[in-house]
Amino acid sequence: MSTILVVDDDKSLRRLYQAELEAEGYRVILAENGQQAVKLAASESPDLIVMDLRMPEMDGLEAMARLLQDRCSLPIILNSAYSYFQENFLSWAAEDYVIKSADLHPLKEKIRAALRAQPPNQLLSRNS
Amino acid sequence: MEISSPQKPLFAAESLERRVAELTVLYEVSRALQKLSDEEKTLYTILVGVTHGRGLGFNRAFILLVDPKKESLQGRLAIGPSSAEEASGIWHDLREKHQTLRELLDSLVESDIKKDLRVNGIVSQFRIPLSDEGNSLLKIMRSREACLAVNGTFEPHGFAVDPVLPDLLGVRSFAAAPLFLADEDLGLLLADNAITQAPIDLPNLRLLQIYAHEAGSAIKNIRLYRALMEKIALCERATQTLRENQYYLLQAERFSTIGKMAALLAHEIRTPLVSIGGFARRMLRATPPDDPRKEEMDIIVSEVSRLERLVDQVLGYSKLAKPEYKPTDVNSLVRSVLLIMQDEIEKHSVRAVLDLDPSLPPVEADESQLRQALLNLATNSIEAMPSGGVLSITTSLDREYFEIGVYDTGVGITQEHFGNLFTPFFTTKGTGTGLGLAVVSHVADNHNGSLRFDSRPNQGTSFHMRLALHPDVASATRTPHASRPFER
Repeated sequence: MSTILVVDDDKSLRRLYQAELEAEGYRVILAENGQQAVKLAASESPDLIVMDLRMPEMDGLEAMARLLQDRCSLPIILNSAYSYFQENFLSWAAEDYVIKSADLHPLKEKIRAALRAQPPNQLLSRNS
Repeated sequence: MEISSPQKPLFAAESLERRVAELTVLYEVSRALQKLSDEEKTLYTILVGVTHGRGLGFNRAFILLVDPKKESLQGRLAIGPSSAEEASGIWHDLREKHQTLRELLDSLVESDIKKDLRVNGIVSQFRIPLSDEGNSLLKIMRSREACLAVNGTFEPHGFAVDPVLPDLLGVRSFAAAPLFLADEDLGLLLADNAITQAPIDLPNLRLLQIYAHEAGSAIKNIRLYRALMEKIALCERATQTLRENQYYLLQAERFSTIGKMAALLAHEIRTPLVSIGGFARRMLRATPPDDPRKEEMDIIVSEVSRLERLVDQVLGYSKLAKPEYKPTDVNSLVRSVLLIMQDEIEKHSVRAVLDLDPSLPPVEADESQLRQALLNLATNSIEAMPSGGVLSITTSLDREYFEIGVYDTGVGITQEHFGNLFTPFFTTKGTGTGLGLAVVSHVADNHNGSLRFDSRPNQGTSFHMRLALHPDVASATRTPHASRPFER
């Protein structure tokens, strides 16, 4: 079972993503901001991160920067209400970019594709 | 030493009279030439002076000039009747009018040039490549001495007359005087008496030589004047562009504020929409098909979708994803970037130097991306020169590519950092994000180009962005993620 770390500051959205992704058969762990995300990425060894961009404390871009600096090679899917971050250089570091929508099919499809490309077992000891 | 002997008169009375007449011609023509601002009319006026009865009195005159590219000596303009009948008609008219040389020359300023067909047909056939060293006309032009073609020889030079010349001009005897100024050979003035067959004597030739010297100055003057006018027009256009750019910069800033607000609003609206729509979808899926609430839930789902699409449209989301190529004037882009950075440049005691290729055509580029890349490079350069220096930006054209070079005279990049230069988050500055050069590299990639650099410790660094003139054509075959800078 793949573990997905969902990072979003909106409580309702965290609940929605958890319910929808668990229904797809994933284990879901949640973080409210970038700081928590960085901690959980190290301690829980998820297989993939779904990352919001605009968050208080530490935003998604900064969290991603931290993870990249830590040589974390987890696939990250950016999930944002903003599209203009797609133009931001950082978004090219991410595995994929989804614009938040009530229709979760694109997000689910991208998660499946990212996990197919990176089988879960290979990720276990990749943090350095 | 005492001056005791009585002065002998310099000239005999007849000779003096001739001198006065000659000086009058020179004075009148140079006076007329000063009023002109047009090269063609200048040439015409010069020819009128050579052929007018109260001028030098030749029958016909021809001007040959070195072309602007300095490749050949070409016939430009001629004046003179084509036959004895036409000649007597013209001369009769002139006598009737009792026009002085001054009156005639003054009338030329306003009137159109009258092109005598036959002589201009002749003059247009002169086209002598400057590389043709042995050509007698070129040799005369370069000798800077007037001479006379008689009996197949140019006197006093002694060059053989090319047999083509008498055939072309229809006369065996003609005078040739070089047009020149300072170290520049401008051309040749030819004159003959094809109609009257009057012999050309040495004083005539000497006067033509002096006259040609005046004419050379006039031609050169008019060209300098024209060049000056063009430069002034260019300066005026540049000032205009600068003003427009300032306006666009202000506009862009205003739009970016609106853009930020709109994006903020969209974020605020979108998040609850995702919640509402997402949960409605979940509930809809859990509702049996025959449940009467299903239809109402459908309404929530479809209305949320409609609102989402509306937000998309308002923000033009779909447009933002990829670079937009538009014809872009890279040189003025460079100037506008420098304008934005003016404060920084001054604050760091940096001198900015531009060397922009004026032949650079408008290129297909995403202007905002290119501007960002240039800003990043220029910022790096300035920061590399903490105690001042020179920032140079160059543009140049190379077949299907153009290159932007950004040079500084700063501290240089340590060799151990070379490999990490384009790695995101790599920075040696206390305050940098480490994204500047990574962005530049990506922009170069987007324009189907490349980025290279050269750096020497304490001498400076240069970055060279080589970009395709038409990136959309070239990049059509590339995969969208080909440029991902991270390795996993």
